[in-house]
Amino acid sequence: MLKIEGLEAEIEGKQILRGLNLEVKPGEIHAIMGPNGSGKSTLASVLAGREDYEVTAGSVDFLGKDLLDLAPEERAGEGVFLAFQYPVEIPGVSNINFIKTAVNEVREYRGLPAMETKEFMSHLKEKQKLVKLSGKLANRSVNEGFSGGEKKRNEIFQMAMLEPKLGVLDETDSGLDIDALRIVANGVNELKSNDNAFVVVTHYQRLLDYIVPDFVHVLYDGKIVKTGSKELALELEDKGYDWIIEEFEKKS
Amino acid sequence: MATLTLNDKDRFLINQEGQDFSHEAKTFIKIRELALKNLKELDFPSKKLEDWKYTNVREVSKTEFRPQSAINIIDEKISAHKIPNLNAYVLVFVNGFFAPKYSNTIEQKESGFIITNLNKAKKDFIKLVEPHLGFQTRAKDQFFVNLNSAFSQDGGFIYVKPNVQLDKPIHIINLVDGDLVASYPRNLIIAEKCSEVQVIVSYETIDSNSALSNVINEVVVGEGANVKLDKIQNENLNTFHVGADFAKQQKNSVFTINTIPANAKLIRNNLNIILDGTNSVANLYGAVCLNGNIHVDNQTYVDHAKPNCESNELYKAVLNDSATNVFNGKIYVNKIAQKTNAFQSNANIILSDNASSNAKPQLEIYADDVKCSHGCTIGQFDDEALFYLRSRGMRESTAQKVLLDAFIGEVLDNIKTEPVREYVDELIAENFNSLN
Repeated sequence: MLKIEGLEAEIEGKQILRGLNLEVKPGEIHAIMGPNGSGKSTLASVLAGREDYEVTAGSVDFLGKDLLDLAPEERAGEGVFLAFQYPVEIPGVSNINFIKTAVNEVREYRGLPAMETKEFMSHLKEKQKLVKLSGKLANRSVNEGFSGGEKKRNEIFQMAMLEPKLGVLDETDSGLDIDALRIVANGVNELKSNDNAFVVVTHYQRLLDYIVPDFVHVLYDGKIVKTGSKELALELEDKGYDWIIEEFEKKS
Repeated sequence: MATLTLNDKDRFLINQEGQDFSHEAKTFIKIRELALKNLKELDFPSKKLEDWKYTNVREVSKTEFRPQSAINIIDEKISAHKIPNLNAYVLVFVNGFFAPKYSNTIEQKESGFIITNLNKAKKDFIKLVEPHLGFQTRAKDQFFVNLNSAFSQDGGFIYVKPNVQLDKPIHIINLVDGDLVASYPRNLIIAEKCSEVQVIVSYETIDSNSALSNVINEVVVGEGANVKLDKIQNENLNTFHVGADFAKQQKNSVFTINTIPANAKLIRNNLNIILDGTNSVANLYGAVCLNGNIHVDNQTYVDHAKPNCESNELYKAVLNDSATNVFNGKIYVNKIAQKTNAFQSNANIILSDNASSNAKPQLEIYADDVKCSHGCTIGQFDDEALFYLRSRGMRESTAQKVLLDAFIGEVLDNIKTEPVREYVDELIAENFNSLN
């Protein structure tokens, strides 16, 4: 589904990704871990098409298309969804109008007719339930005055509404208490199918108790330096990253 | 024989003459004579004047505008300027002259209100008109106010008796038709004690290669009265529009004005509100959405003359292409006006390198127990918000429109009449079609 090869990217002239390779197949969950500044969030941003980052080498193939060639909205249309680490507050735009506009633009991109209001509303209610998002938030401005947990649940709610093929979760667990974490993880698990995949960027092993990954990758200095099963995350929790860094530096 | 040299202003004023006002009552002729006298001493405002620094009306002074009645008015051309689905009493003026065929006048004594043209009211309701007409527009130094006072052809007259609430709004449609037209419509709105009225005043063009609309709205808000005024400025791009609005509020009254300058070559608005009774509230809202080369200049003046009053002012502008915007908001708090609450906010979004906005808040406070605030921002769309919307599948143009609607919606939400809001939304959307 997703094939990243030799990806290099920089921001304001500073190189962050230095030849990253990653392959994700349908039905898989990949966790990306790594110390601060290793490039985890950069990877998520580059996949979503954030313009501040410049890709200087490598390729990203998503379902046979050159992802890097597509505008952010086209990537969403193709089925890439980024759950933001810091969801943006947009005063004056109601959450419900925001998601309705987004859903219908994505549907238009996918060659589907706009959703009838009735169908949309029942879809909306179902997905709100999935992440226990209060119906009251629908009429509030996007993310404005939301608690940290509400913002992250709103991200998963949007993901559920847009039905992506690839969900990229950028430190969705940061700043969440355990109850909110469970709700978010449960939402992801409910959405998981044999046809979609998730890349979960996280600092902490804790999230992976709830979203069980098929692969755990360690990102360091802009590259994936180690890949393992879910047990690797436990080992990282226990021993930190230094041993991997040492192992990597000895090799190179 | 000495030759008399005429300057631009003299030539301009000569072109305005020739209207016969001799049938008017003496008291009204006096207003015109006084204004003419003031005009003799004044000149067209130049950029040397602080309040006219950014707005150039030299071209007005050099163009041979003159009052002229429209010929061959076609029904369809008038009805095209009605607001769809708006259930309202309608008064239509073309080039400043009353068009009774298209208007619904209410003059019966037994009804709670009068809706007619000002010239008729000057004859039939002289006792109602005389105490108020020209009362707020006596400023000697305002060239364009005096110009209207001297040459105004006609306008709407609205009088609401005490405790009467109108069953529907009044829509005054001011149209311009023909070339080199000088149109001077002037409305007088009087809301007596505890009455309630909403007036929509729109300015539009039938057909014109060049026009000057020099307009005045005079509003008298009685004790406990509630007056809403929606001002929609949508003339063609050959039109100079210079207007002034005056409201005098007695105690416990509320006055709300929504100003929507959408189209013209140049629009200058002077809004003057005096809170002349305690516990009154003035709401001033302006939504300026411009493209092309349109220039808009809003000057507002709120005079807190009495204690315990409140003014809320919010003007927002979105500027595309080479559009230019000026906002100058003055708040004056008299030394006896304790417990004044005066809030002013001006926010601008600039979409293009060639668009610009000049903002100047001015607070003059002579009372010591007041709450006053002002804020001014100029910026662009928030890139983070744009990216967020696009990452959810919205095209860039859709994302921009969503942010634009949200930004300007904060102002437009004060237009409570749905058909008017839809009409204004449409005008604004047309100005931003280029975002597609």
